[in-house]
Parts: sequence; C-alpha cells; structure tokens
Amino acid sequence: MNCSAIDLKAFVVGELGRQEQTAVEDHVRACPGCHAELERLNFTRSALTMLEDEEIPRRIAFVSDRVFEPRWWQTMWRSGQAMGFASAALLAVAILAHGFVRPLAPVSGSSVDTAKIEQRVEAQVAARLNTVIVKAVNDAQTKQAADFAKVLNATETRLELQRQSDLATVQQAAEYYRKQLARFEVASNQGPAQ
Amino acid sequence: MIFREVEDRDLIASATRGHVEAYNVLVSRWEKRIFNYLLRLVRQREDAFDLSQDVFLKAYQNLKKLDDPAKFPAWLFRIAHNEAYSLLRKNRPEGELTVEPKMAESSGGLFPIEMTLAVRGALAKLSDDQREAVLLKVYQGFKFEEMAEILSCPVSTVKSRLYTALDLLKQTLAPVNIGGAE
Repeated sequence: MNCSAIDLKAFVVGELGRQEQTAVEDHVRACPGCHAELERLNFTRSALTMLEDEEIPRRIAFVSDRVFEPRWWQTMWRSGQAMGFASAALLAVAILAHGFVRPLAPVSGSSVDTAKIEQRVEAQVAARLNTVIVKAVNDAQTKQAADFAKVLNATETRLELQRQSDLATVQQAAEYYRKQLARFEVASNQGPAQ
Repeated sequence: MIFREVEDRDLIASATRGHVEAYNVLVSRWEKRIFNYLLRLVRQREDAFDLSQDVFLKAYQNLKKLDDPAKFPAWLFRIAHNEAYSLLRKNRPEGELTVEPKMAESSGGLFPIEMTLAVRGALAKLSDDQREAVLLKVYQGFKFEEMAEILSCPVSTVKSRLYTALDLLKQTLAPVNIGGAE
C-alpha cells in the first residue's frame, strides 16, 4: 500500500475499521515519512485533549409549569387500566339502571309455560341490555372526545394568547434596552463633563 | 439485586409526557458537555451559559419531534450548533472570521498553562466551521455521519473541514511539538 492510500487523520480520530487500522499500522512501521506524520498528528490530538472541560457556572434546571403538566383527562386517557375500570363501571351502571327503570311485568295464570316465558324474557332482556350497553359506551366515547377537543382547543387558545403576550413583553424589553444602549453610547461619545 | 441505571431514552419518554423532573435529570447529564462545546465555539462564558439554557429550553419544547431517542445527542448538538451560529452571525455580520482568543477569564486546568494557552490560541486561529469540526470530533467523539447530521452538510465537507483544521493545528502547535519534528 502506498502513502497516498493511507488516511492517517482518519486513523488518529478513530474513524477506521479494524482492517483499515491494521493496514495503516503495517504501513507506518515500514514508512518513516508516514511514521513521523503520525507522531505529529498524535501529538496534536493529545495536545487538544489537554484542554480540560470547564464547570458550568450555574446548574440548569426547569421548574414544573402547569402549562406543561398533564391534565387529569390526559392521564386518564393514557392509562389503559383506568379506561378499563371506567368502562366496567359504566357497564355496571347501565345494567342497574335498566333493571330499575324497566321492571318485568308480572305474569298471571297458572297454565302458562313459565320456562318458555323466562327464556323469551331473558332473550329480550339480553337484546335490550346489549343495545343499551352499546349506546352507553358510544355516548361516553363521543362525550369524552368532545370534552377532549374542547379542552385542547381552550388550551391552544390560552397558549397562543400567552405567547403573544410574552412576545409583546420581550419586544418592549428589547426596545427599552436598545434605547438604554443608545443613551450609553451617546454619553460615552460625549465624554466626561469639563 | 439488579441495578439498572435509568437510561436517557426512559428520561426522554418521561419528559415527553410532561415530567419536568425527568427532564432535569437529562439536563444534568448533558449540560457540561453542551456548555463546553458552546464555550469553545463562542468563547465567552456568559454567552455560552445563556446559549446552554436556550438549547435545553428549545430541546424541551421540541422533544416530541424527536423520533428516535438514540439520536438525542446528535439532535441536541444540532440545536446547540444552530443557537451558536445564530449568535456568531449576529456578532459578526460583516463576515469577520477570527478574533483574538478571549479565554483569560476561564479557570485554569491541571496541565501546564503554556500548553493550555497554546491549544486555545491554535483553536482560536481556526475558522468557526473548522473549530466546530474539531470540537465535535475530538472533544465530543461524534462519528462523521453524526457530524454531518448536526452540521447539515455532506460527510465529505465534514472531513474536509476537520482535516484542514488538523493540518493547521499541527502547524500552529509545532513549536511545542515533540522535539519540534517537522
């Protein structure tokens, strides 16, 4: 391998693969010119790494801001367990409500086949119950989506207003400091009073 | 007992959900590196600190846009690069390239002061682009591909800047080189 095919800088900064590294090492052992160049590059790199990191003047930390905190409905929405529990509770309430609001009519007469009636009633109850549950779940989901959209919209509006207000404040402050700076410049150009 | 350190990706996920404390832990892991990168780029401690704060604030505000948490370091340095260049452009609108080193106010290290000053002086003689290439490779250990992402330029440009910078640094540091070998 000739010298022009050797990338000593890539070798020094650790960008070569193992095979390429070995090729460079073999070449450098046999080539005094590349050996000297590699020493200079290694020294340069070592000198650079002597510059120590400085400590940051103050620690950077952010305080909790309500704007960024998740709302109760966001927490609820993201929690599968909570959603499952809410759905089960809704289902139970629907069953109970159905039982109280629509009691079964009493059956009179002793000649009636009660088994058949019970079977029919159970089928009807099951069908109605199913309808009610589906409706209740759909209603709940629709309401939740509407609430979510409403809250999201309100939050976006509030944030936009806040942003505009902050922007106005910053612009005022910038204008103030520009004027102050201009004043200082004028004062420094005039020099001390005689 | 199995001890598992909380990884950056966990902190990022938690911070994305709005947990500021998780983000503060993430900041504490990266603030020194970001500060030193900016300090060597803009060469003013106050500017570097102000920029560091801006970088972490912007990172928090845009954390949801980070698709792959594994790319957080390069993404964070990309923000830092943008902030630093925004300041450098503002301070040097006429295309002024280099200024004299202004590191006298910074704290000293454990190594000989002459060497530290020589390195600072040599870095200060580089153009901003060349110096940044050295900072990202030598001090931050990024790969060429990551540097290309951070700097928004091809890998060939990254290599060109770094190699030119290494040649210049080698020449500048020659008086203190091993036996002055040339």
